[in-house]
Amino acid sequence: MSLRFARPFAQTARLASYRYANFSSSLLCRSNFHNAFTSTRVRRMATETPKGTTAASGATRSVPSQQFRTREEMYRAKNRTLLMYTSAVIIVAVGVTYAAVPLYRMFCAATGFAGTPNVGTGRFDPERLVPVENVKRIKVHFNADRSDQLPWSFKPQQKTISVLPGETSLAFYTAKNKSDKDIIGIATYNVTPDRIAPYFSKVECFCFEEQKLLAGEEVDMPLLFFIDKDVLEDPSCRNVDSVVLSYTFFRARRNKQGMLEPDAEESVVQNSLGFGGYENAPKVEEREEKR
Amino acid sequence: MSFGRPPSINAGFKVTPPDRGSFPLDHYAECKEQMTIYMNCLRENSSTSSACRDLSKQYLDCRMQKGLMEKDEWRNLGLANVDKPGGATESKTTLGVGKNNG
Repeated sequence: MSLRFARPFAQTARLASYRYANFSSSLLCRSNFHNAFTSTRVRRMATETPKGTTAASGATRSVPSQQFRTREEMYRAKNRTLLMYTSAVIIVAVGVTYAAVPLYRMFCAATGFAGTPNVGTGRFDPERLVPVENVKRIKVHFNADRSDQLPWSFKPQQKTISVLPGETSLAFYTAKNKSDKDIIGIATYNVTPDRIAPYFSKVECFCFEEQKLLAGEEVDMPLLFFIDKDVLEDPSCRNVDSVVLSYTFFRARRNKQGMLEPDAEESVVQNSLGFGGYENAPKVEEREEKR
Repeated sequence: MSFGRPPSINAGFKVTPPDRGSFPLDHYAECKEQMTIYMNCLRENSSTSSACRDLSKQYLDCRMQKGLMEKDEWRNLGLANVDKPGGATESKTTLGVGKNNG
């Protein structure tokens, strides 16, 4: 169908004047109306022209440079192409700079490059919570301590549990409030030996949050934990076959910010967290008090 | 800076909180029965955790039903491939017959 109009189009361009040719050729591309308008004229012209010229026009059509009547036309077409390419490159470059920020973030999160922390459910993925079969079991011993200011009795319900790496296990502690007042307690925990601590993960427990026991009440506190299976690949943990998990319950008090914290000396609390042997810098609040 | 360092130093000093936080206290001992069954099973199986995983699943299920634990899929708790014991087995275990599902 386009061929039908192509022949008269070429003839229109040739028969008209230069300016008209430029004008009409550029317009014919864009407006259907003009196409329809000229098509009636060129159809008449098509019937008049002899076959020789049509063959010639067909021959000239195959050479692209002959399409343009003037050098200006050719330059204009070339400039338009160049403009299209350049603007496309600019748009792509701007798009890449916009996309670079989230892409870099994704790359860092995936590879941990430049110290990006591994947050999220990386440690507790369902794939990591599958027990590893046929490996040596690790015996977890349970220990329970309490501060002297806390009139509770706090005991583990089982002395040990033998677990496989990657296996989620349930353990229980029992706490009884022996006093006649409601007391809020807060627990800290600690795992020894130190080298197994990064692999010992708790899915859910009862530590670091306030636990209120009514007077004379006794509750069972469960603990769901697992030892990450990466412990099998750590050479320093090769001969670890017993782990001690120790919980310490303190009385809770409100600090200046209104948050609950253990009601005991800082050194005692740090000891229960396993940092007793380390020198601790004084807290910000203490430093400001001294000033 | 964290390149090339052995992983245990970095993570060992961080006190990582538990993934799902804290269990709400079971003030009314609603799931105490499941706990007792689980403890008995542990005692019978020389404190091997693999033997009693189905009972731990039962205990956690009890907690979820009574609103003492957020409901979640079992695979997120690592108990996906553990079958829950049926109601009939409960009476069996209280009689002292341990359920070995290793």
